[in-house]
Amino acid sequence: MRTSAVLLLLIAATQVMAQADTLLSLEEVVVTATRQERRLGNITIPVNLIQRRIIQQAGSLRLKDILQEQPGIQLTSNFGTGIQMQGLNPEHTLILLDGQPLIGRTSGVLDVSRIAVAGIKRIEIVKGPSSSLYGSEAMAGVINLITENPSLPLLEASLRYGVADPDQGWGVPFKNNSFQQTEATVDASYSIRKLKVKHNNNLLFADGVSFRPFSQVRVPRPIHRITHQTSIQQNLGNKAGLKILGRINQDRFQQEFSVSNNGMIIDSYGRELNNELNIQPTLFFRLSEKIRLHTRGYLTSYSGDQLLRFVQKPDSSYRDRFEQRLFRIEEQIDFKKENYTITAGVGYQVEQANSTRYDALANQKQNNVSYVFAQWELKGGDKWISILGARYDHHTLFSGAVTPKWSLRYKAKPSLSFTASVGQGFKAPDFRQLYLNFTNTVAGGYSVFGTQDAIRVINALNRLGQIAELKPDFTKLTTLSPEHATGINVSAQYTPTPAITWQVSIFRNDIQSLIDVRQVATRVDGSQLFSYLNVNRAFTQGVETSFQWQLQKKWSINAGYQLLLTGDKEEWERIKQGKEYIRESNGSSRVMNKKDYIGLPNRSKQQAQLKIKYEDKESRYVYMRLLYRSRWTVANSNGNGVHDVQDEYAKGFMQLHITGGLPLSNTIALQAGIDNVLNYQDVFYLPNVAGRTVFVTLRATLESKQSKK
Amino acid sequence: MRAILVSAAVLLSITSCEKDKLPKTVDQRAYAVETIGKITTVKNLPADTIIGTNSIGQPVGAGRYSFFSLETGQWISNADSNSTKWDLAFAGTVVRINNATSGPGAGGAFVFNGTFESLSSISADSVFRLDNHPVAYAIPRGSGRAWYTYDGPTNLLTPIPGRTLVIRTATGKFAKVEMLNYYRGGQTPSATAADSVKTRDQRFLHFRYTYQGNGTTQF
Repeated sequence: MRTSAVLLLLIAATQVMAQADTLLSLEEVVVTATRQERRLGNITIPVNLIQRRIIQQAGSLRLKDILQEQPGIQLTSNFGTGIQMQGLNPEHTLILLDGQPLIGRTSGVLDVSRIAVAGIKRIEIVKGPSSSLYGSEAMAGVINLITENPSLPLLEASLRYGVADPDQGWGVPFKNNSFQQTEATVDASYSIRKLKVKHNNNLLFADGVSFRPFSQVRVPRPIHRITHQTSIQQNLGNKAGLKILGRINQDRFQQEFSVSNNGMIIDSYGRELNNELNIQPTLFFRLSEKIRLHTRGYLTSYSGDQLLRFVQKPDSSYRDRFEQRLFRIEEQIDFKKENYTITAGVGYQVEQANSTRYDALANQKQNNVSYVFAQWELKGGDKWISILGARYDHHTLFSGAVTPKWSLRYKAKPSLSFTASVGQGFKAPDFRQLYLNFTNTVAGGYSVFGTQDAIRVINALNRLGQIAELKPDFTKLTTLSPEHATGINVSAQYTPTPAITWQVSIFRNDIQSLIDVRQVATRVDGSQLFSYLNVNRAFTQGVETSFQWQLQKKWSINAGYQLLLTGDKEEWERIKQGKEYIRESNGSSRVMNKKDYIGLPNRSKQQAQLKIKYEDKESRYVYMRLLYRSRWTVANSNGNGVHDVQDEYAKGFMQLHITGGLPLSNTIALQAGIDNVLNYQDVFYLPNVAGRTVFVTLRATLESKQSKK
Repeated sequence: MRAILVSAAVLLSITSCEKDKLPKTVDQRAYAVETIGKITTVKNLPADTIIGTNSIGQPVGAGRYSFFSLETGQWISNADSNSTKWDLAFAGTVVRINNATSGPGAGGAFVFNGTFESLSSISADSVFRLDNHPVAYAIPRGSGRAWYTYDGPTNLLTPIPGRTLVIRTATGKFAKVEMLNYYRGGQTPSATAADSVKTRDQRFLHFRYTYQGNGTTQF
């Protein structure tokens, strides 16, 4: 009693946050598409917007959880949980935190299960090349995580407990092979005079699951994670302001498992520690009604430390360390006139990395990038908006990249608008592709060399008589150049009534000079030596559609679908020329037909979501999401190196997630849910899905009424 | 091509008639040789099958070759290894021809990129390669080089479709060979199968060939 009285004294009055409509209105403000605030109804490329309310109601803990429910996004499971957008690999989607890139990718994959969503206010997803504003990696698109600004004095705490049992289907706590996860979040906002402060602390403890019938182990790993995020905001007079965001993320994984190679089973013990730090100061000036200035600094570092100990081969055990740092300073100016806005910016970035997988941990690798970008946004009355932009990135390590983009929105009627865009995206080679010097002593003794070292190392081995054969690709080794993509997106948006929105988009991406790992030489002991080459050309194309319907203020229905077709252009040429082969059912070879071709591996042709939510005025809700993904190729099982109808597939699946919420009082709300109700599991090909999980969350929110004006 | 299909269809219908009379289960996992028209198909030829593991745990065979005569379609005794009675010798992924360092015959081989059926004659400028046992072979070893690919992550070996081995036999005749499968029963295990299954069932070769006994290079 006394405690609650104290709380009441501390915070003058409390109330649960006001309701917001589930449906996105065209009035919602987004920033990613143009690098400044724009209403959804006024931007020239489609943006998928996910609000905090939806993230919470879906019971999402990590970025992975909420992204897997979005149209046109597929999860991948090599080197952590990656995301595939418009059929492009995880390394081609840029992931931003308040507009600045997250680093710490493994083999190009930024593990989206690493990122807690507790401190995220909204997520903006832009599909299609966006390098004209964001530079490298924005080939498939951009996912921008916008953090919560410090606002009203607020104290919020939540505790979640979940349990699953992959063997039984239904989890029983504290049983042998049960998977338990506990998440705790504490959110606090307050002011010290005019300085506004917000803290978000998030803790996650989750078990791993040992549900592996055979030796290939890929399961959710036991994890301990702490994320701390602090934002401070200070107004400097009427015309200026300062915001600083700081974020620390710490992961610890630990597990025992077995790996298999050439029929050998090797039992291992693994331990991984990851540390991440982001600091983002932003200074804002309004010079006049027309001119605004943003000065942004960014400092981020990521370090990973992996230890792997083999029981049978202790001398092969290794410890891998990887450190990456990025510093950036950027100036952006927005100049606004009646019917046009000009945005221009200039920036300088230093990126450094050290790794035991490069020549030596002590040797720091560095790439400096200087860049300029400009964008001209022109309004043609109420009818159309056109945006023309371009960016130039100069890298000290490779050739520069120019990435233009043009986009248009045409409002045919108030209820019908069209958008079209053509743009270029690029991805600079990463340090691994330049400097990797890695020999896998466990799995067959193969080696991979970055292009900076490959020629020198292999020539040296050759002089020592260590090389049995140089492959034709060895002569093609040269300085890597950035990968490029050209993307076209056309879409129509139809809003017959405020309660209904229907959107259809068509996309096509043509990707040039994709970097691929190729065997360049063979050692005398038969082990293979690999390096990287700009070789492949590929395309992805498809249709994405989404439909939203709000029924009587209580029901909302949201349906999405994507059809995706992909291909490697060289393979496609060879198929057209009759130079690729396939097997008949009796085992004999025949020439492959066009219809036998599947395209790029690990991509589902079809994907759909159906989300239904019921929510009443008292904030009681039930939110159901049904997700479908069609089969995808995982292994080439007929030896032709091309993915075709005879290959091995992972089975398509349906996933159902249900959550429900019940406010118990003005301050306390209860949430319960079942993730993966149908208990879909695929240990081999999508191990990051943990099977049916039942969870309960209790959330207490104390918010000051007083400071509301 | 059509004639072959028709005759194969006729033969199939004959065999199915016979099957109707004598219901007999065919052991899909046993060594068998069957000739239909010009094509002989060999199934489940053991090629140094796995007998255990070495000191570091890798599965190994006994190191014995299986010698095979394309002329007679017979598995030749190891006692005749130093004769011209055999044309090909198999152990795991190694295919030896009867010449040079491998045997006393007049053998030779090269890999033709194209289907078995499309190879109707050996072009005059073809170069037959010789073995340099045990370092290198006329039909090279290694993933993606001659007739197979090996995938480390799935631990599976798959013959490459559209690769035909062109063979000069021990007595100087010609033959064309297509490797069909590497596993017992002629079915490659699923990528997710246990490694014990992949180890147990590997090195049982399936291939088909056409032997031209008149000395010409026409098939």
